[in-house]
Amino acid sequence: MSWFQLNRSLHRDIGYFCIGMTLVFAISGIALNHIHQFNSNYQVSRITHSVQLENLDLETPYFENQLLQKLALDDTIKARFWPDQTTYKLFLQTSTLYLYPSQNKVIVEQVEPRFLLRQLNALHLNEARAAWMWFSDFYAILLIYLALSSLFMIKGKRGVLGPRGWLVIAGFAAPAAFIYVYSL
Amino acid sequence: MKTGVILATMACVLMFSQLAIGKTYNGGADKSKLVSISQLLSEAQRYTTQTSTIQGTITRVCKKRGCWMQLASDKKFQSLRVKVRDGDMVFPMTAQGKTAYATGTLKIKPLTLEQTNQKRTAQNLSPVDTPEVLHLFIPTAVTIED
Repeated sequence: MSWFQLNRSLHRDIGYFCIGMTLVFAISGIALNHIHQFNSNYQVSRITHSVQLENLDLETPYFENQLLQKLALDDTIKARFWPDQTTYKLFLQTSTLYLYPSQNKVIVEQVEPRFLLRQLNALHLNEARAAWMWFSDFYAILLIYLALSSLFMIKGKRGVLGPRGWLVIAGFAAPAAFIYVYSL
Repeated sequence: MKTGVILATMACVLMFSQLAIGKTYNGGADKSKLVSISQLLSEAQRYTTQTSTIQGTITRVCKKRGCWMQLASDKKFQSLRVKVRDGDMVFPMTAQGKTAYATGTLKIKPLTLEQTNQKRTAQNLSPVDTPEVLHLFIPTAVTIED
C-alpha cells in the first residue's frame, strides 16, 4: 500500500470515528452559543395559581399540607426560605413554590433537564473533567490529522493545487478577518 | 458492523460522562471549617483572607451557565451568592432546595449607587442614597447534598 492509499484509508476511518464527537461538539456548540435566547440545559415551566395567603401563618405544617392539597401536588417540602419580605419559597422534591402573600399568588416552577442537550452541553463544557479532557485532546489531534490529510486526498490540479486551493485559503481567511476586524 | 461498534462506544462514553458529573466539586467542601453565613457576613473583612466553609439551602442557581448559586442564610431575608468563573464548576439548576457546603473565601465588591438601587428594586426594596457592597463567596470546593 502506497502512502497515498494509506492516507486515504486513515482519513476515511478516522473520519468515521470522529462523527460522534463532531456531532457532540457541533450540536452543543450551537446550543451554547445561543443559550441566552434558548435555555438548552433546562426546560423551566411556571404555572400561576390564585390562593388565599394574606393574613395566614405560612410557616406551619397545617398551612403547607393545605397548600399542597389545593395545588394537587403529591410531594414533600424539603426546605423553606424568605428571600425578601414579600416572597416565601417552598422547595419540594420536584418543584419550587413561590408564594406572594400580599398578592394571594403562588407560582409553581418546575425545572427539567432537557433530554440529551443537557448532557451534550455538559460534555462540551468539560463538566466531567479528567478522562473526558484527555479524550477531547485525542479527538482534537484526530481533527488536526483530518484537516492536514485532506490536503493529500487528490493529486494534481483536481486537488488543492488547483482551483480548490482557494477553499483552503478561504478557510484561513475567515478567522484571520475576524482577528483583524475585532483587533484580537 | 464497524459503525455499530463505534456508535455503541460513543453511547458508553456519554453514559460514563453522566456518571462522572457528581455532587462534589474539587474533592468536596471541608466541613471542619464550618461558619454560619450570618457570622461570615458580620465579620466580612476577616473572611476575605481566612478560608471557611458555609452551608445553606440552595435558593437560586444561574439558569444559563450554572456559574453561581444563592445560599440561604441562617438569618431571615439574608442570602449569599457563591460565584465561580464560567466552567470552573457548573451548579445544576435542579439543585434548588438541596443543601450546599462551599469552602472558600469572601469577596467584597463595592457597588455604585445605580447598581445598588437596581439590586434593591429587584428585591422589592425601597431605593437608598448610599451605595452598598456586594458579598460574593468564591469557592475552591463544593459539596451538594440532598
